Amino acid sequence: MARAVLVGTKKGLFFVRDGAVEGPELPGWSVNHAVRDPRSGTIYAATNHVVFGNTVHRSADDGSTWERAEPIELDGLELGETWHVEPGRADEPERLYLGAVPGVLLRSDDGGRTWQSVRGLTDHPTRERWQPGFGGMCCHSIQLDPDDDARMYVAISAAGTFRTDDGGETWAPMNRNVAADFHPEVYPEVGQCVHKLLLHPARPERLWQQNHCGVYRSDDRGETWNRLDGNGLPSAFGFPIALHPHDPDVAYVVPEDGDRRLTSDGRLGVYRTTDGGASWQLHADGLPERAWSVVLREGMAWDEQGPVLGTQAGSVWSLEQGRWHELARDLPPILSVELA
Amino acid sequence: MAVVRLPAILAREAGGRNAFETVAPTLRAALSELPVADLVFDPRGELRPLVNVFVDGEDARTELDAPLGAGAEVRVVAAVAGG
Repeated sequence: MARAVLVGTKKGLFFVRDGAVEGPELPGWSVNHAVRDPRSGTIYAATNHVVFGNTVHRSADDGSTWERAEPIELDGLELGETWHVEPGRADEPERLYLGAVPGVLLRSDDGGRTWQSVRGLTDHPTRERWQPGFGGMCCHSIQLDPDDDARMYVAISAAGTFRTDDGGETWAPMNRNVAADFHPEVYPEVGQCVHKLLLHPARPERLWQQNHCGVYRSDDRGETWNRLDGNGLPSAFGFPIALHPHDPDVAYVVPEDGDRRLTSDGRLGVYRTTDGGASWQLHADGLPERAWSVVLREGMAWDEQGPVLGTQAGSVWSLEQGRWHELARDLPPILSVELA
Repeated sequence: MAVVRLPAILAREAGGRNAFETVAPTLRAALSELPVADLVFDPRGELRPLVNVFVDGEDARTELDAPLGAGAEVRVVAAVAGG
């Protein structure tokens, strides 16, 4: 099957493949994230509607037909927007995870038909110190350690990064050295505004995060973090981060002017590091030099063929042989891209 | 027999059907038996704030427990909201 870009937008899900745009599927739904489960081929979409609420859709036939999850109920909390669907491990084919507002992680053990709250995080003793960001108190990042079936990470804005080593029973804050400049205590235990958290699959102890207050890397499973901006990046602020699938020293970010929420220097600037974040270089050949359209937290992905990004102006760009090429344009505002 | 008519987005969620006949005694009961009831009502069982319901052309948001007459036409309409 040819490479497909799953493009979640404010107005439904699009597929970009073989130079053509297909869709929208799920018209009317705002798709914060969509992903193809590599175990089954099923596509899952975190879908939200201003009138009809928040849910997850799934399609087992490449988007031809869709089923909606059973109503998702949270004991004592009200579900807000759904943000990210993460397929489970290979030996648990029916398990998936869902991150949502209000700072909750849900688990499905029946292929996404029903979802249950992971209580160890929902009932976390620090929850009263969490605060919602502009996107609500969203759990947007879910990362599974490929070497340890009991270990996983989540990131919540603005609560920070949390790690479980016991399959979700208990969660420890992993925010040491991570700034929260908007907080009366600059380095609190929790309350950090992580914008995107990723684990490197080839070196699972290494995590990267684009935060409201900087770009960070941890080489000890989140125990401590090193700040990586100020050495080539025009701004510490941004939303997405993308990792090379094999080289743990290579990452891309798209900085924004943090005060104005616009592209830094008025251009769509993608910055690359090849030395673990010690230095960053503009890597934007082919991208428009004057542009104020930003890339959101789920707006970058990377596979064997290279990175892809989607902008709020509705363009999809792919890096091919060192130059960015526009795969699609004039889509609705793009919320997410994934490669399948 | 009353009939409940759905907007396009709910009809897609209901397997492509945009009309459902019902003998439910009340408007609330008629809406609750729809396959999209979870999209019409919130988890507390209240009509979602931006869902409008009309019975024979009259606003019925506050009349959910009134008897639903035979032959009534119920329309579920998304309020003008969003962008």
